[in-house]
Amino acid sequence: MNPTYQPNSWLAQQANRFAPALFFIGLVLLWELICRFGNVPNYILPSPSAIFMAFFDVEFSRWLTHLWATLRVALMGFVLSIVIAIPLSIGMMRSQLMNRVLYPALIVIQSTPVVAVAPLIIVLLGTDDPSRVLITCLITFFPLVVSTTTGMLETPPEMIELSQSLRAPRYRETWQIRIPYAIPHIFSGLRVSITLAIIGAVVAEFVAAEEGLGYFIQFSTSFFKIPQAFAGLIFLSIISLLLFKSIQWIQAWFFPWSLPKKK
Amino acid sequence: MSKAKKTAIRLTLLASLVSSVSAMAADQVTFQLDWLPGGDKAPVYVGIQQGFFADEDLEVKIASGRGSTDALTKMATGQSDIGSSDIGALMAAKALDKVPVVAVYPYFTQAPHAFFVLKSSGITSIQDLKGKKVATSPFTSSNAFLPLILKQNGLSETDIQLVKSDPGALAPMMITGSTDAIIAWVTNTALYDAQAKGAGKELIEMPWSNSGLSLYSSSVLASEKFLTERPDVAKRFIKAFAKSIEFTYANPDQAGIDLHKMVPEVDASIVSAQIKSIYNLVYNDVTTQDGFGNFTDERIQKTWEYVAEANGLSKDALDPATAVNNNFKPE
Repeated sequence: MNPTYQPNSWLAQQANRFAPALFFIGLVLLWELICRFGNVPNYILPSPSAIFMAFFDVEFSRWLTHLWATLRVALMGFVLSIVIAIPLSIGMMRSQLMNRVLYPALIVIQSTPVVAVAPLIIVLLGTDDPSRVLITCLITFFPLVVSTTTGMLETPPEMIELSQSLRAPRYRETWQIRIPYAIPHIFSGLRVSITLAIIGAVVAEFVAAEEGLGYFIQFSTSFFKIPQAFAGLIFLSIISLLLFKSIQWIQAWFFPWSLPKKK
Repeated sequence: MSKAKKTAIRLTLLASLVSSVSAMAADQVTFQLDWLPGGDKAPVYVGIQQGFFADEDLEVKIASGRGSTDALTKMATGQSDIGSSDIGALMAAKALDKVPVVAVYPYFTQAPHAFFVLKSSGITSIQDLKGKKVATSPFTSSNAFLPLILKQNGLSETDIQLVKSDPGALAPMMITGSTDAIIAWVTNTALYDAQAKGAGKELIEMPWSNSGLSLYSSSVLASEKFLTERPDVAKRFIKAFAKSIEFTYANPDQAGIDLHKMVPEVDASIVSAQIKSIYNLVYNDVTTQDGFGNFTDERIQKTWEYVAEANGLSKDALDPATAVNNNFKPE
C-alpha cells in the first residue's frame, strides 16, 4: 500500500483520523467479548465492564486518598532527584576529578535493582515517607544525570571558546551557554524520569505503605478482587500519562525554543 | 468583636489546647501486622473501635506488613513495638541470629496450614495426594512444614508434584483444573469457598492440624526494647488485646464492621466470614486444656522441634523457652 495513504470518501477520512482511538476501542471490545463468550472468570481476566464497575465499589474519597498518596511520593522523589541530579551533573562536567570519582559510584547505584534494596531502605529509614521518597529518587535520578551531562557536553565548542575569549566567568559559561544547550536533553531525561517516579512509588508501596495505589493493588489481589486491582492499575497509567504530558507542556510553555522545529 | 465573644474564642482555644495535650498524654504504641488487613488481623482494629485500648490510655497505630520475617524485622529494628507474627518464624530467626523480639501472648494455638482440593477431584485424605499435582506460593511458611506433614502421612516430597505460583493464582489454578490441590492458610477458606461456588464447584479443606501437625502459630510478639523500656504500657496493651480477641470471636459481625470502618476497602461480610472460619485456630482443644492465653513449656518445646526439623536446624540451636516471655500476660 502507498505509505502516504490519502483516503477519498468522508467516512474513510474520519476512520483514518480516529484510527488510534478506533483501534483502542476495538481492542477493549474484543477483550469484553472474549471474557463474556469465553466464560472467563473475573479472577483470571476481568472483563472491561467488570473493571469499570469496580471503580464504583470503592468510595471516591478512598480513590483520592490512594491517588494522592502515590502522586505525592512520586513527585517528592522526582523533585529530589532533580535537585540532586542537575547540580551533580554540573559538578561532574566541571571537575574531572569529581567525574572520575562519582561516575563509577553512580553506575553501581543504577545497576543495583532497587526492588531488592527497597526492604533494606525501609529497615534503615523507617516505614514513612523518607524511605519511599528515597526509593523513588534512586529509580529516577540516573536518567536525569546522564541526559543533563550529555546535554552540557554537547554545547558547540566554538561557543565555549567565544565565551572564554571574552573572559566570561565559569558560572556564566554554565548558566548562559551550557545549560540552555542542555535543556532539550534535560527534558527528555525528565520525561523518562517522571514515568519511572510512578514505578518507584509503587515499588516502595509494595514494601511498606498503608495507602497508595501500589498498596491498593496488592491489597485487592489479597482479597481476590482482581477487577478492583485492574481499576487501580488503570489509575496508575492515567497518572503516568498525565505527568508525562505535563512535562511536555512545561517545556512548551517555558522553553518553546528548545522544542524541535515543526516541519 | 464583643468582649464576651473574644473570651469565648479564647476559652475554646484553651480547651482545644488542653484536649490536644491530654490526647498526647495517652501512651503511643505501634502495632505491626505480618500481612495486610483481613479477618485474622481484626482484633487490633476491634480494640481501637470498641475503645479497649483507649480504656487503658493507649493510642495504637497499625502498620501493615509483608510476611512474618518482614514483621519481625520491623519489631527488631524498633519501627514497631509489638505485633502479630508466626512464632515459628521467630524461633528460626532467634536460632540463626539473636533477634531482640519475644513472644508474649498466643493467638493461633493451631497451625493454619492446609491442603485445599475440589470435591470433584475425589481426593479425601492427604494419602490420596500421592502422584498428584500440588501448588503452593513461593514464600509461605507452610512450605517448611510440608515435608513433615507428608512424612506423618506416609508420603515424601517425591510422591507429589509440587509447583510454585503466586498466592493470588492458587485458587483459580485449582478451580480451572491446572492443579489437583493447593497449599494455603485456612484464613483463606471463606474467600476460596466463594470462588469455588462461583464456578459451581465444592471446596474441601484439609487442615494439617487435623493430620498430626499440632503447634503454636501466629502469636503476639514484642520487641525486647519495648518490654524493658515501657513494661507497664506493654502489660496494658496485652490486656486490651486479649479483650479484643475475645470480643472479635464472640462478635464476628461487629468485628467486620469495625475493620471496615478503619479499612474501607475491606468488606465487612468477608471479614466476619473469615473470622468464623478460623475460630478453631484460636479456640480449640489446646485452649480448653491449657486455658486461653497461656504458652505451655511442653507445647513450646514441641513447636520448636517442628520448626527445627522444618528449617533443617539442630535442636540445640535454641532454647525455645528464651523465645517466650510469660510475664506480660494479663492476670
